[in-house]
Amino acid sequence: MDNGEIAVSKALALHLLCTLGLAAGFFAAGIAYNLSLVTDPAQTLSFLLVFETPIVVASYSFVRRDHDRPYWEAVSMALFGLPVGALLNALGAIVLGAPVGPKYWISTIYWSCLMSLFTFVPAVCVFGWSRMDWQRIIANSKPKQATDCLVSLPAQGAIVGAWLGAWPMPLDWEMPWQEWPICVTYGAIAGYIVGMILSTVFVHVMKNHPHVKDD
Amino acid sequence: MVSGLTCGKLASWTIAAVLLQILGLSFFMIGFFPVKPTLPGFSGPESYRMPTCEPVLNAQDSELPPEKLRSFYKELSKVPPSYDRLVLMVIDGLPAEFVLGRDNKPPTKTMTEAMPYTQSLLSAGKARAYHAKAEPPTVTMPRLKAMVSGAVGGFLDVAFNFNTQALLDDNLLDQFKRIGWNLVMLGDETWIKLFPKLFIRQDGVSSFFVKDTIEVDFNISRHLDAELAAEDWNLLILHYLGLDHVGHIGGRHSILMAPKLKEMDDVIMMIHTHTILHQRNNAADTLLVVVSDHGMTSSGNHGGSSYEETDSLALFIGLSIENSDSAFNVPMSASQVDVAPTLALLFGVPIPNNNIGVILRGMLDSLTDEQRLRALQLNSWQMLRLLQEHSPGLLCGNLTGIGGDIGLLTNQDVDSTNEKLGYLFSKATSSHNMWLLRQTSDVTSNSNDDLELAVSSYYKFLGNASEWLSHRATDKPINLLLSGIAIMLISCILQLNIVFKLFKEVFIIERKHFSLSKELNQVWHIDESFTLIGILIHVLSLGASSMVEEEQYTWHFLTSTLFLIFLLSVIRSSLKTPASYFMKSNKHENNHPLRKSLSNEESGPTTNDKSSRSKQLHENYQASLILLVLILGRVLRGWHQGGVNWAHLPDISKLLIQTGDFYIKAFQIITLLGLMVLGSFAFSLVRRRISLVYIVWISYFICGFLVLLHIIDSQSNIIGPTYSSVNSMAQIIYICVGSVILFTVFVSPWVLPVDHEVGSVITGLKSSSQSNDMQSSSFLLGVRDCTYLIGTTFTVFWCLLQLLLQQRINDIPVLIVYLQEMASIIYFSSYRTKHRQWVEVAAMYFLGMTGHFGLGNSNSLATIDVAGAFIGISNHSTVLSGILMFIITYAAPLLAFLSMLIYISVKDMNDLLPNHPGLDTLHLMIGFPCLLPLVLNSVVLVAFTIILLLMRNHLFVWSVFSPKYLYLCASTVCVYIGVLIIAFTVVYTRSVLAVRSGVKSSLYTNSLDTKSVSDD
Repeated sequence: MDNGEIAVSKALALHLLCTLGLAAGFFAAGIAYNLSLVTDPAQTLSFLLVFETPIVVASYSFVRRDHDRPYWEAVSMALFGLPVGALLNALGAIVLGAPVGPKYWISTIYWSCLMSLFTFVPAVCVFGWSRMDWQRIIANSKPKQATDCLVSLPAQGAIVGAWLGAWPMPLDWEMPWQEWPICVTYGAIAGYIVGMILSTVFVHVMKNHPHVKDD
Repeated sequence: MVSGLTCGKLASWTIAAVLLQILGLSFFMIGFFPVKPTLPGFSGPESYRMPTCEPVLNAQDSELPPEKLRSFYKELSKVPPSYDRLVLMVIDGLPAEFVLGRDNKPPTKTMTEAMPYTQSLLSAGKARAYHAKAEPPTVTMPRLKAMVSGAVGGFLDVAFNFNTQALLDDNLLDQFKRIGWNLVMLGDETWIKLFPKLFIRQDGVSSFFVKDTIEVDFNISRHLDAELAAEDWNLLILHYLGLDHVGHIGGRHSILMAPKLKEMDDVIMMIHTHTILHQRNNAADTLLVVVSDHGMTSSGNHGGSSYEETDSLALFIGLSIENSDSAFNVPMSASQVDVAPTLALLFGVPIPNNNIGVILRGMLDSLTDEQRLRALQLNSWQMLRLLQEHSPGLLCGNLTGIGGDIGLLTNQDVDSTNEKLGYLFSKATSSHNMWLLRQTSDVTSNSNDDLELAVSSYYKFLGNASEWLSHRATDKPINLLLSGIAIMLISCILQLNIVFKLFKEVFIIERKHFSLSKELNQVWHIDESFTLIGILIHVLSLGASSMVEEEQYTWHFLTSTLFLIFLLSVIRSSLKTPASYFMKSNKHENNHPLRKSLSNEESGPTTNDKSSRSKQLHENYQASLILLVLILGRVLRGWHQGGVNWAHLPDISKLLIQTGDFYIKAFQIITLLGLMVLGSFAFSLVRRRISLVYIVWISYFICGFLVLLHIIDSQSNIIGPTYSSVNSMAQIIYICVGSVILFTVFVSPWVLPVDHEVGSVITGLKSSSQSNDMQSSSFLLGVRDCTYLIGTTFTVFWCLLQLLLQQRINDIPVLIVYLQEMASIIYFSSYRTKHRQWVEVAAMYFLGMTGHFGLGNSNSLATIDVAGAFIGISNHSTVLSGILMFIITYAAPLLAFLSMLIYISVKDMNDLLPNHPGLDTLHLMIGFPCLLPLVLNSVVLVAFTIILLLMRNHLFVWSVFSPKYLYLCASTVCVYIGVLIIAFTVVYTRSVLAVRSGVKSSLYTNSLDTKSVSDD
């Protein structure tokens, strides 16, 4: 585990859990309170957060790189990383044009927490404070180790998906889902899922050709 | 001469490509915005005769004195004029829906209650109303032209909307004048521009002060009592602008709308009671015609082709309507051009010869049957003449033959359309003759049926002909369009090829210099691929009408993302091990002023430790620059909501306007002071401060002071005519700015000192001798110093000019754009950025385009700031105000081009520029800054031209795509101007310096430098 190896089944289970968490969030919001992302974005996002946070934190802390660190440390770091990542994501979204009126504050906060769960929290769980790991994950566009895939591909997928998800917003279709942050959330989730699929595939490829990335 | 790419070759290829582009563009423009054939001159007595195939020699009948002409017409036409006086009341922007309702439903209750008198007239059958469909573009001037001439102009009429010129085509007003009418005009001064010398009395109001809804209309109504009492006029035109202004401010449902409608209703009541009801016995009959030139969207805009905008009103109130028995309660649909022939026949003048309108059904009911048919015949003859102009030989020879076959009607090509029209005309004529025959032969049995047949067949012919003619106006020669596109495509490929060659050459040189560092050997960086993807996405997005309308989002999104990627790359490089930089960092000399002063803390790295600490500092500093650009960009995005669909949402500018004058003024002054400080800072960085720099500096302060005075002065009169003092102040500023810029550009290369000492700092040279190095480096340094001074002068004075011209609310955005450009230049000039030069140039261009939309511009013609275009212009000059309008609209992109001069001067290109003075290095210096904007623009231009061609039948082609195309053409011009300024400045500076150093060096050393002169 120390050099970033991980079993394919483990990666698959991890990603399935994360997907299930999202699905459960949507399901619970829909069944229990009859909420949908389009009609009540803020509440639905809060449901997604409630279900997804424990799953992401628990499962990614489990695959932390440095197993000498205790489990609880990874978890607490993740809980600390959640608002930090949310802040970064919110700043990024606002700089890219997300509305800042009081009407949108709540949704923006929830959305950025969700994005933090997709992007920043897994990295904090897995790498902790290890400067080397952070350098590698940020400086290299291509992941070199299996755990890097696990962290970076879903994160990149979520960011690219959210970015693409913003494009329909100026269209004059007058659909309710064109509001911030609904379609961006859909895009992020779609990108996240694609990223997770790719990450599973990459982990599998790396397992079979361990030196393919070192060249 | 690595790849044989010389400057001259590059320049000539580029010029060829640009010329090709201009050629292709003009082909496409001519094809897409056609000028259709029109009949010259005015229709005269010949219009009462059957058209013949021989060209009509204009008889001298029309030279008759007015009184005689009038009776002559009366005698010829056999349709006696029904009225003698006409009141034409134009209510700008009134949708017919307000008066007549929509889809056969009555108007809403508020609207009905707002116009009680008009509604009572309508319900009593005393007025006849039509939904008169206006052709797009729904702006005032083309619509007025359509109403008085009956002809539909092309789209380009809009371009002349603000720059009205006299209407020279045949029209009703000139026809009236010919028969000796006296014309009076009160209202929109567009009429005066259309007919400069026609009116005996006139009081024009300007439509530029859109915020004023009271004064504009009061200026008209105050004359009403006197005018209605006067008897000297035959035609009184009243053009009320207030309702349009109400719409522009608050949209259809503005609270001001009902009072404004009531005001209009009162005017109608006043005219009706004064002139129509109380007519002096058997004196002149008066007809009141109430028309609107166009409608408005729910947000109050107009210009497009939606139902809301084209649904305009035509309301006729007169005695003959009251007397006619057939009471039409249901308003009919008609076309706006139908007003022209109807009025012509009602008042006994020839129908204007380019008319495509059809007599309004129901307007001639008071005439006898014979007269009605005669009127229709006259209308048909006129239309036939116009048809013959479009397709010569129509109906020649077989005018009376009814050889037509119903089967012909289904064919669609031009020939059979001709035959179909010929058939319809013959049928109408023959049924008319039949009816006449029956009348004379006293066979009364089927007379009514015959009449109906004749009327309906005339209308059928007229309807078909009118439709065909109006389609002709929008018909496009596909071959011309395609060849235009093909030429533009070739030019685009040529430009892409040039840029690619340049890129390859730069890449090879880069590789030589950076063979040590690994990451530069990577072919594509993330920023490069994103720039390419961004350009692609932008081009694709132009295919969607709402993305064109809301283009400001696209640009802001792409630019911000690009700078976020820059931020990422800074963070990445800060996380990398510092060792790899050590090699590079000490082979650079820190000789440029700007860079030196901004990176003082790291000028002498001696140990690895020190270097890494300074590197950390440096990266923080770079990151903060990018963050500044990003945050300013977000503020700029929030400044104007922009676009079309969400333009009403709150934004910073609306907030500021609400807070009041004082704050706007305070912000303006703060902006000016900020600009003064920044400008002084920029001047203080000039390395060699000779007296010239101080002269420019001082004149900068003087100009700033003048602008300050102007800002304080112009507060008092936001609405109303500009006073001469303000005008002369603005003129002084223009002269100051212009002369200082010209002076700096032309004089500074001659006087700026060129020193020979700095060259020795350069190390790491391989093959050339020391003296040559010294000379070349000092030469380049001189060029860069000079370019820096010129670029700074250009940018700061440009910003000052913008503070003068832009709307008051736009001052801070101008400063923001300036700050963004400067921050990105400082970031790019720091030597550790690893972006390729083309990405940096593209980023600056992107910033310029984002700024263009950030200053409140959009792709709708409505956002052009017309008011600013008249600052400092004492007499109406189309060219001057056009130039000012261009300067205002393209403030940000041009600022981007001007700051590229600074970029060229401070960008560290020592690795790129070979140190041989004989070598041709100009293209490496200005290659990308000149070529890349051309290419980016060219790609968008070609793509959008193709999109426009594909969308030519789209609903929004006139309201969204065509205006965007005009903007695109204007931005093409903007790119040409920007590139020309860059190229000229740098080439001129280099040549002058080369001459100077050539003169100097020939005194003691060899004449190597003369080579570089000849190369330039």
